[in-house]
Amino acid sequence: MKLIACTEGHSSKIEAFSLEMIAAARSLVEAGDEVVAFFAGAEADAASSLFGAADRLLVARASKSELIPAETYARLLRDVIDAEAPGLVLVPYSANGLDVAADIAARTGWPLISYVNEIKRDGDELTVVAQMYGGKILADCAVRLPAILMVNPGAFAEAAASPIDSAKVSMIDAEAVLAGGKVKMVDIDVPDYADVDLTKAERIVCVGRGIGDEASIDLARNLATLLGAEIAGSRPVVDNGWLPKLRQVGKSGQKVKPKLYLALGVSGAPEHLEGMSQADLIIAVNTDPKAPIFNVAHYGATCDLFDLVANLGDRLRAGSGR
Amino acid sequence: MNILVVLRMIPDSAGELQLAEDGRAIDREWLDFQLNDFDDHALEEAILLKEAGGAKVMAVAIGEGAKRVLQMAAARGADEVVALQSEEDAMISSREIAASIAAMARARSVDLVLCGVQSSEDVFGQLAPYVGALLDCPHVSGTNRIVANGAMLRVTQERGAGVAVTYELATPAVLGVQTASKAPRYVSGSKLREASKTPIGRATPEPSGFERSAEIITLRLPVQGGSGEILGDNADTVADRLVGILAAKGLARN
Repeated sequence: MKLIACTEGHSSKIEAFSLEMIAAARSLVEAGDEVVAFFAGAEADAASSLFGAADRLLVARASKSELIPAETYARLLRDVIDAEAPGLVLVPYSANGLDVAADIAARTGWPLISYVNEIKRDGDELTVVAQMYGGKILADCAVRLPAILMVNPGAFAEAAASPIDSAKVSMIDAEAVLAGGKVKMVDIDVPDYADVDLTKAERIVCVGRGIGDEASIDLARNLATLLGAEIAGSRPVVDNGWLPKLRQVGKSGQKVKPKLYLALGVSGAPEHLEGMSQADLIIAVNTDPKAPIFNVAHYGATCDLFDLVANLGDRLRAGSGR
Repeated sequence: MNILVVLRMIPDSAGELQLAEDGRAIDREWLDFQLNDFDDHALEEAILLKEAGGAKVMAVAIGEGAKRVLQMAAARGADEVVALQSEEDAMISSREIAASIAAMARARSVDLVLCGVQSSEDVFGQLAPYVGALLDCPHVSGTNRIVANGAMLRVTQERGAGVAVTYELATPAVLGVQTASKAPRYVSGSKLREASKTPIGRATPEPSGFERSAEIITLRLPVQGGSGEILGDNADTVADRLVGILAAKGLARN
């Protein structure tokens, strides 16, 4: 059986989760199986230099180093699936994967399980652990191959990076598909970190939905100032326009690793944890004792966050003489 | 432009979730259901497109409390509201409902289908790519800005690390909205009362059309807690402890 590991990269960079997809596929092989990595983009050389853990690498090579729209990626992947007849396709849970996985599932009719953390295989049967309800529930699912899985970044350890033998790399003629896509990329905007770069912050105070309203952000901001910390927010807070996008932590924001991460009213959806679970010291305040943020917190408190902000602020002001 | 926006009612994940007796679903009896947050943004984007360039917006709601949310949609500016019937006490699988949404879009010559990029019950796949593939039209997920110029759409998509990518595509199209161009508006009580008279259409679901699907064997709660220490629920004592912890790690002062 062939297992296809979908990989990604653009703007001269290969996404780290690509090696995780190869590792996930590798962990499922039985005798005679083959792990085939699929890459679409201009970074063919970088992919070849890293994906040695795969048995073969198929590259849909683009001439320009730009992002390939998911619609085009999916079309290229469909051709690969037609040609290779795989038993399993692993797609990363990424901005691209969100559009690719269900598209392929709809067009092949194959089952799809999303937000996958664990996979066990017994012949052509898989048992899969997937996250639901913002990580509050785990679903043990059964699926018969062929199937598609959308795998969470961080669920599998990266395969060791090594070059792949050039004889095992095949180039796919992709120009016609690349040129004929119905979705055209017209602009890519990489943020200007001049104002704030959370990835370099040593201390972060992050507010979540529990902060309640925009006016209350100032209370958290004052506490951040006392701690010498940057203020940050989870997705709902930024979506509400209460903090700028550059201050968002999580999957569609920044991935941070500060010395101190104080989470106020953050529930800890998987997408948020992906961006901050590596922080050195995580302190979480949330009135819901079952909030998933407590699974990664070193210290947790279930008191009212406003009481805590007031009390902690008083002590810090007293301690610093301000 | 004809816009169809999908509104899914989902369990309030901020509340406590308990498992049903058979362990294959969550116990829905005492749950609060609310509009999927991303679908709320999709509705807002639909109304913003209508205000910017003219459009007819049909809102289709599914699940417990659909009637209430459709009245809200009408109050915000939806021209037509339809409740798509769903199985009572069952989760709303995007894979299952995609065929119904695609059929409605076809029947109404819809130019643009909008829905939230994700829902907490889309373990078997996301709605926008399913509907896009079934309609064989382009789809983009994770949008935070949509601008229409006739039949051309300019769509900005959020990627990780603050990177934003802008695409151009022609209608018909399906977009999975992450964030509306502006935060969803509030509606006044008087507008809501007025909208409560809006007639709500009914639609019956189509079969999903998929022969094979994965299935849920059991649901379970994740093992709680890891190794963290719980400091309790008294803000005064928690603050004392935190000051000590921060001081010990040299983090108390800037």
